[in-house]
Amino acid sequence: MRQLPPPQINSTNRCLMGGPHPPAQGSQTSISYIYTKARDGDRKRTNMATTSFTAPKLSSPTLQTLYRNLPVSVPLPKTRSSFSRHLSPSISRFHHHHLHRHRLFSVRAESENGAEPPRHYDFDLFTIGAGSGGVRASRFAANFGASVAVCELPFSTISSETTGGVGGTCVLRGCVPKKLMVYASKYSHEFDESNGFGWKYDAEPKHDWSTLMANKNAELQRLTGIYKNILNNAGVILIEGRGKIVDPHTVDVDGKLYTARHILISVGGRPFIPEITGSEYAIDSDAALDLPSKPEKVAIVGGGYIALEFAGIFNGLTSEVHIFIRQKKVLRGFDEEIRDFVGEQMSLRGIEFHTEESPQAIVKSADGSLSLKTNKGTVEGFSHIMFATGRRPNTKNLGLESVGVKMNKNGAIEVDEYSRTTVPSIWAVGDVTDRINLTPVALMEGGALAKTLFQNEPTKPDYRAVPSAVFSQPPIGQVGLTEEQAIKEYGDIDVYTANFRPLKATLSGLPDRVFMKLVVCAETNKVLGLHMCGEDSAEIVQGFAVAVKAGLTKADFDATVGVHPTSAEEFVTMRTPTRKIRQKPDSEGKTGLEAKAAAGV
Amino acid sequence: MARKMLVDGELSQTNADEAHYHFDLFVIGAGSGGVRAARFSANYGAKVGICELPFHPISSEVIGGVGGTCVIRGCVPKKILVYGAAFGGEIEDARNYGWEVNENLDFNWKKLLHKKTDEIIRLNGIYKRLLSSAGVKLFEGEGKIVGPNEVEVTQLDGTKLSYSAKHILIATGSRAHRLPIPGQELAITSDEALSLEDLPKRAVVLGGGYIAVEFASIWRGLGATVDLFFRKELPLRGFDDEMRAVVARNLEGRGINLHPRTNLTELIKTDNGIKVVTDHGEELIADVVLFATGRVPNSKRLNLEAVGVELDKTGAVKVDEYSCTNIPSIWAVGDVTNRMNLTPVALMEGTCFAKTVFGGESSKPDYSNIPCAVFSIPPLSVVGLSEEQAIEQANGDVLVFTSTFNPMKNTISGRQEKTVMKLVIDAETDKVLGASMCGPDAPEIMQGIAVGLKCGATKAQFDSTVGIHPSAAEEFVTMRSVSRRITAGGKPKTNL
Repeated sequence: MRQLPPPQINSTNRCLMGGPHPPAQGSQTSISYIYTKARDGDRKRTNMATTSFTAPKLSSPTLQTLYRNLPVSVPLPKTRSSFSRHLSPSISRFHHHHLHRHRLFSVRAESENGAEPPRHYDFDLFTIGAGSGGVRASRFAANFGASVAVCELPFSTISSETTGGVGGTCVLRGCVPKKLMVYASKYSHEFDESNGFGWKYDAEPKHDWSTLMANKNAELQRLTGIYKNILNNAGVILIEGRGKIVDPHTVDVDGKLYTARHILISVGGRPFIPEITGSEYAIDSDAALDLPSKPEKVAIVGGGYIALEFAGIFNGLTSEVHIFIRQKKVLRGFDEEIRDFVGEQMSLRGIEFHTEESPQAIVKSADGSLSLKTNKGTVEGFSHIMFATGRRPNTKNLGLESVGVKMNKNGAIEVDEYSRTTVPSIWAVGDVTDRINLTPVALMEGGALAKTLFQNEPTKPDYRAVPSAVFSQPPIGQVGLTEEQAIKEYGDIDVYTANFRPLKATLSGLPDRVFMKLVVCAETNKVLGLHMCGEDSAEIVQGFAVAVKAGLTKADFDATVGVHPTSAEEFVTMRTPTRKIRQKPDSEGKTGLEAKAAAGV
Repeated sequence: MARKMLVDGELSQTNADEAHYHFDLFVIGAGSGGVRAARFSANYGAKVGICELPFHPISSEVIGGVGGTCVIRGCVPKKILVYGAAFGGEIEDARNYGWEVNENLDFNWKKLLHKKTDEIIRLNGIYKRLLSSAGVKLFEGEGKIVGPNEVEVTQLDGTKLSYSAKHILIATGSRAHRLPIPGQELAITSDEALSLEDLPKRAVVLGGGYIAVEFASIWRGLGATVDLFFRKELPLRGFDDEMRAVVARNLEGRGINLHPRTNLTELIKTDNGIKVVTDHGEELIADVVLFATGRVPNSKRLNLEAVGVELDKTGAVKVDEYSCTNIPSIWAVGDVTNRMNLTPVALMEGTCFAKTVFGGESSKPDYSNIPCAVFSIPPLSVVGLSEEQAIEQANGDVLVFTSTFNPMKNTISGRQEKTVMKLVIDAETDKVLGASMCGPDAPEIMQGIAVGLKCGATKAQFDSTVGIHPSAAEEFVTMRSVSRRITAGGKPKTNL
């Protein structure tokens, strides 16, 4: 038998113990299942059953399912005593269950997974970072019977070396607040549209920035509370503080040491601002999501999805917006036609693009306004200059070098297909590994890792046909290969495109259009890629992603009847290829492109 | 290449016949199905004529218009009004996002109506051009069948034209049906509802089908008081029961007064408006009473009895799997056959007809897994089987996955309206038998899901697809916990 893990009286537990709310119903259920599981010992079946009714899901729509009246736990100020190694006599029944449970299942986990010599650890899994990937891995690991702790920095809307918050980038500084801001900003376009449908406003609708920020931040507080409850209900111990790896099985959190059979690094990434003169005046996306007042005139440096999303947000909230990009086009890596199309559509909505302009310096003038000096000249009068110039993994001061966890030159942790680092007991998922930096991918990686470690089912995340969206205005959705990638990989492809004015725009009179594209393998008829820019793209592409992932053919698309009248039906009614791309039937059998592709491999 | 060979083949085979027919195909009715069949047949090399009644937004025995119900009196104008009406809710939602919008909003119905009419006139023109660019000859007038290979077109000035055709296609669609109660002439149908001079302040809608709930949503969104009367406990008979309840709840949530299990017995004209009397003895006054009580096939004035084309008891033209009537040279597609009355289905039937008759490839329309949408606010969209149908049809157990959530937009807008999604799975094969959703963007979301269902996608394939975050649609690929399992032979839970 192993020792009891050191008691962790963490802020979440304290909150639940001392707070006005009774523990959520889920936590009770969660505890009862533990005993059920221990009794019948049928691991797999019970796991399934329990997952089915106890575990709230993590993805954001599921957060949406958790109703607004769930208790919000606000982290209490951390005190030294709350991290005491000694079991306090005041520990509640609630906490006791946690301890009891750890003993039961850690033992089980050890007996099943333990090829290594018996050694006692405080936890089966210690996760550093409670964002999407970390929470998913921790929660699933706990559901599979592991004893799990996760540490996370204190909550703040702006991330730093010392601040973070349960929920991570997605919930606090990414997907969620971004999407809320997109919703807010889209209304100005809807007001314009509504004019064409007969609606008239006595006065032009005005936007009150502080209302939006207050409501947005209340929602973020609610969500971080829900995430804490989710961890709690799964029996995961939450420790507030900064985790640092001391040795392959030990994590230091603000001076306290915890041992674990496995350590998971899921600390995510942070915005990166290049060092130029005056870069201290620039803001990043963290700050841009929580500005105290509306930026009157904003420069956004960068052409990636974050830059485009914020351009749309500020433009919709009636700021003057300039985008500065190094290249000719936005969204490097996306399908070329999509890149052209989204740029045009955004320009039509009033965003000014400065292409092939690299920032060189920011100058603050006497009146407080900012000027951006580029290789082409200087643009003056900005209230804000935002850099959306990439994100970097949060791998500094984690102790990685000392234990021998290898990183690439960008600071991302190198992992194998199972998310294992160069140290066998240390694993990493999510943005810190810089594979595909998307919440659902981090969830997939976290889920796969939990299965690999604690369900005796080695599982690799599958990166094929991962769909994604850009919440620009209009938004983009895509899955599979771009036309350019498909030509490289397959040579002969058929491309189907549609570029149309949607029904709504014919009435609104606005210049909105929709662009859609299917990339089809000429030989197998498989749909290799699907791209869309236009209203509802993100929602539309999800269902098609199932089809692309399943390897369905163009004929399968054609066999599907349309939903009329929708934009989406266009994807199943594309009858004639816009172009057929064929490699010349060369006598050598290799064309220039094929040769190039082969050389690339 | 292939096309040319087929045409050549046909020419050589049928040289003798060709000589004495004016057309290879004559189509009566230029709606969705007729135009599609005409164009595709022409593309296969056939010589095609088509006739259609003169254009007007409100149909009658002698009024129609190229484009048909969908373009002139259905899908398109309806969707335009739904767009217009949805802004009502959007503007309310904007306030908690920080937008200061005047309480006194002005909505100009005449402007919307005018723009809607402009748009359908534009589409009518596009359809005409589609026909002419495909080489189809268009006649304006009423078509009648005179013989198995003979049609007569009565033009506007009364002159009659007679043409012979190797094949005749009936694609005359359907029209709204009025309930025969006292005062029924005071009521309007969906045709008039799409072209009302004034926006009603008090609207009564009779019917529980998709047309009824769509108009209820439109008028409510534009600010009218709406009372919806229907015979069953829930609207939308035939849809998944759980989803019907969701729609009912949402309609109520948006302020529509629902009157389940209630019929109208009489309409009386008063100075104050139309007095509506129900079979429960209730009375209320309305500016407009809409009968959305079904549609009947336009088969009466085609002279079908003269050639012996069989109709069913509802007046629908009876056809085989290839859309052929009991007269081998006469075919029918679309609503006039009352199979599945949806534009894309009429398009499919028209395409299959052209392939079968002129493309040298026998082709049956496939009615499995056809997605459809109800553009209520918020909308409902489904594909495949309802839970009740799945239980009835599946051999083994049925698994039901549901997800009810507050859409992210509502977390700030404060709108109290849940989105509901549902997957019905065959437990043995893991196949997804049915998918439904009620919530914003449901019709757009369901289209892609429909491709998966059409091709027999399994729940495992749904699960292996990564979500698009944050979207509502991602919920369809992240449903991990089964809500209930209905064991084989289990009875449907309710039959509302």
